[in-house]
Amino acid sequence: MISRRNLFAQMAAGAAVGVAGAVNAAAVSRVALAAIPDAMQRDTPDTAPPLSPPDGRPYQPVVTLNGWTLPWRLRDGVKEFHLVAEPVVRELAPGCTAHLWGYNGQSPGPTIEVVEGDRVRLYVTNRLPEHTSVHWHGQRLPNGMDGVSGLTQPAIRPGETFVYEFVARRPGTFMYHPHADEMTQMAMGMMGFWVTHPKAHHPAIATVQRDFCFLLSSYDIDPGSYTPRISTMTDFNLWTWNSRVFPGIDTLNVRQGDRVRIRVGNLTMTNHPIHLHGHEFQVTGTDGGPVPPAARWPEVTTDVAVGQMRQIEFVADEPGDWALHCHKSHHTMNAMGHAVDTLIGVDHRGLASRINKIIPDYMAMGERGMADMAEMEMPIPENTVPMMSGQGPHGSLEMGGMFSVVKVRADQKPGDYSDPGWYRAPAGSVARRVETPGEAPSSPMPTAHQHPPRPTAGASEAASTRPASEPLRVRKPDGHGHHGH
Amino acid sequence: MSSQTIPSTAARAAPSTSLQHRATKRRALGSVLASAAAVLLGGCASLSPEQAIAPVQQQSQAWLSADLPLQQTDDQRAAARQRTEALLAQPLDAQAAVQLALLNHRGLQASLYGLGMAESERVQTLLWPNPVLSLGRLVRGDEREIERGLSVNLLALLGRPARQDASARTLAREQARVAQQLLDIAGQARRRWIDAVAAQAQQAHARTVLDSASAGAELTLRMRQAGNVSALRLARERAVLAEAQLAMEQAQLQAVREREALIRAIGLWGDDVARLSLPERLPDVPSTFRQADDLERTAVAQRLDIQAAKRQSEALAAQLGLTRQTGRLNALELGLQRNSSNQAPTQRGLDLSLEVPLFDWGQARIVGAQQAYLQSVEQTAQTAIDARSEVREASERAQAAWRIARRHHDELLPLARQVSDETLLRYNGMLIGVMDLLADARAQARAVSAALGAQRDFWLAEATLSQSLLGPVHDTASSASPNTSSTPGASTDASGAAH
Repeated sequence: MISRRNLFAQMAAGAAVGVAGAVNAAAVSRVALAAIPDAMQRDTPDTAPPLSPPDGRPYQPVVTLNGWTLPWRLRDGVKEFHLVAEPVVRELAPGCTAHLWGYNGQSPGPTIEVVEGDRVRLYVTNRLPEHTSVHWHGQRLPNGMDGVSGLTQPAIRPGETFVYEFVARRPGTFMYHPHADEMTQMAMGMMGFWVTHPKAHHPAIATVQRDFCFLLSSYDIDPGSYTPRISTMTDFNLWTWNSRVFPGIDTLNVRQGDRVRIRVGNLTMTNHPIHLHGHEFQVTGTDGGPVPPAARWPEVTTDVAVGQMRQIEFVADEPGDWALHCHKSHHTMNAMGHAVDTLIGVDHRGLASRINKIIPDYMAMGERGMADMAEMEMPIPENTVPMMSGQGPHGSLEMGGMFSVVKVRADQKPGDYSDPGWYRAPAGSVARRVETPGEAPSSPMPTAHQHPPRPTAGASEAASTRPASEPLRVRKPDGHGHHGH
Repeated sequence: MSSQTIPSTAARAAPSTSLQHRATKRRALGSVLASAAAVLLGGCASLSPEQAIAPVQQQSQAWLSADLPLQQTDDQRAAARQRTEALLAQPLDAQAAVQLALLNHRGLQASLYGLGMAESERVQTLLWPNPVLSLGRLVRGDEREIERGLSVNLLALLGRPARQDASARTLAREQARVAQQLLDIAGQARRRWIDAVAAQAQQAHARTVLDSASAGAELTLRMRQAGNVSALRLARERAVLAEAQLAMEQAQLQAVREREALIRAIGLWGDDVARLSLPERLPDVPSTFRQADDLERTAVAQRLDIQAAKRQSEALAAQLGLTRQTGRLNALELGLQRNSSNQAPTQRGLDLSLEVPLFDWGQARIVGAQQAYLQSVEQTAQTAIDARSEVREASERAQAAWRIARRHHDELLPLARQVSDETLLRYNGMLIGVMDLLADARAQARAVSAALGAQRDFWLAEATLSQSLLGPVHDTASSASPNTSSTPGASTDASGAAH
């Protein structure tokens, strides 16, 4: 999965993306590369197993959800990494690929794991069609290594390789991302995770058995297309964890009783209340460092604001398949129309056949709700995942976007991160249908059908169509340019 | 003749030929006299209206592939009636419309009678002038003289071949006039058929727009009743529906008007009107449409107006020859005198009376004839200039109409279909709502309607072009003109702004 740079494969990837093939080919000469570490590549979006440190100070490695940790070269006591900023083709979920920019073949880029006190040298080669830089978000470092192009360094032009070097001074959870044409480059998926492990026992940093991390990012990819619309600021249609959407996000598989840490960084343009089912957790750290134990409180949801990092910990003591998701419900949807009319409670009798006369393949949807969507599985535009999908043991999950499952199993072996399959609940422990003869489901809009429209004295025909229960109904204002996604 | 300045070689050749012709006839005068009776009988035998009509019937076959049957007897009328009924038994195609017009146009039949009349005039000129028999009894004392005379108007006899030519030309001119009428009627029938089929097909697309708007308005009403949309949305959807209804009214009226125009053009009446059915659509626009390079030459060679102008010049040239020949002999009378007397031997002799050209030498008539001839030469030239320009314009218009129609067919329609397919996929994915789907159905119906308009314009232009190669085109279209194709409800979509 992780390979040495193959020039031909790299050129092919560049051609597939259709951008900057010439830049890629001409970027870095082999002579120049000889002095610096190989730039490792990864060509799959699967979750890589944790990378146990082959040298340097030992630590407990993290697992990057649908991602990987970048191997390093230890040279004269310095950990050397090589990041290549380049166009990539990233699978967001089966059936949907995106033309993004990323690092070393994937978006997000590989996780960089070091140990507190390590001297780190990071080579950054730019194979993008425009200049870039890398900002090491949250790190203590010399000002000239902060990666803000124009402010602390000149931008890295296409074809150039820069080197950053600093000591990872404090343990914690960090990110890296461009600080040159930042809006575009982050909208195109350029970001990565950074974990600095403590060099010794730290009173505020617990030892855990499982340590997961992922970044939140969002894209606006018009259904039927591949490249994000980089000018979109609020109305994104794909909400991703590590540039994956459900059902493309891997599950977090743990052994019952494990202490689990999940690190979540937010590089979208809005906040995300991350919610875990079945367990309470504590926020044990931010990108500012470990939270003093006395300052922690139990939560089942923590909000991760824009540009923030949250590190939550819990003991996975309840076996089962526990949902883990952003609690903004449209963030657990894939591409959907935000101007689609509400048809709930609208009587469709006779209408569908009339519309079918004009549009033969039309099928009525939505008069009961939107769940039809997940059930019907009708053809939709190319390169698009349905708004909601995902099959579980009991049917469709009707989810998308920022959703995954923490699978807690008694028989999950230590160090085994493979998917154990769906939870088999003990008999009698699953919610079930009870027999209640004679009860029919109520109409979704009771008042609409029970009362005829009220004619108003002297009113026009239009006025007589006024809904019977209009005064009772409250609607949120739905103006354009609204924020808060 | 040599002193004349005549621009066209062909035109100059014509009168000299007829002069020679006339000289030959003059030499044969004696024998003509001898065989007078035979000629007389022969002239009587050739009187037949069918003969005069045959050339027009041949042109009808050659140009239109349609029959132009005489309907002067009950049998002929019954046969025409049968053909009309057979043609109306199935949806009428363009060729059948032309045939129906030729069968049922009363004006055309009237013209055929006119051809019969011209033919009888021509035959008249083949007859000898009647001789004048004079008898006189003179008494002088005891002398009684009886004068018997048989005289023939020699001048009438001399001018007879020229008059025969003239009457033959009159017949030919009349035939050409009927041929032009034939072209006009057939062209009219073809164009009105195109308009009528197109207008009828437009109705179908207006119906789709209306169905879509109606479903949209109904759905919005139900959404309103469920409390899901505002009165504003409902009002907008109702306005869309009302405009679609108006467009449908217009499309229906247009179809009725075009159908009536067709009915007039093909001369239907009574029960036949109800029996008329039209195909659902026009023939497809051909995938290639390349015209011969020598359209103008073809037109000059066969156009009726050019031929008529040339014939007029020839006739005037012949007349000029006649005038020169007889200009000084206003009356020439040959008489055979036999005067018998009871006191003298019978007196026999020839009597030739001759007007003396003392004052009227005929110069004015000669000059007048020359002027008329030269005038007709100029008119012929102008006719040719106009005709060639008409053909060029018709050709360019047909080419442009073909390109436009093909662009609709090859690009716009497939794109509209693709847009609809993709729109449906987006509806399936809940990316857009059902109202967008309905609005798209209306947009696609309009695209099809516009393509149909372009298709109609092409067939009209093609009909005009092929007719312009044969004669001038007089289109008396009452309503629709090309490039103003009716697109029902083109501006009626407010639903896009309704979200």
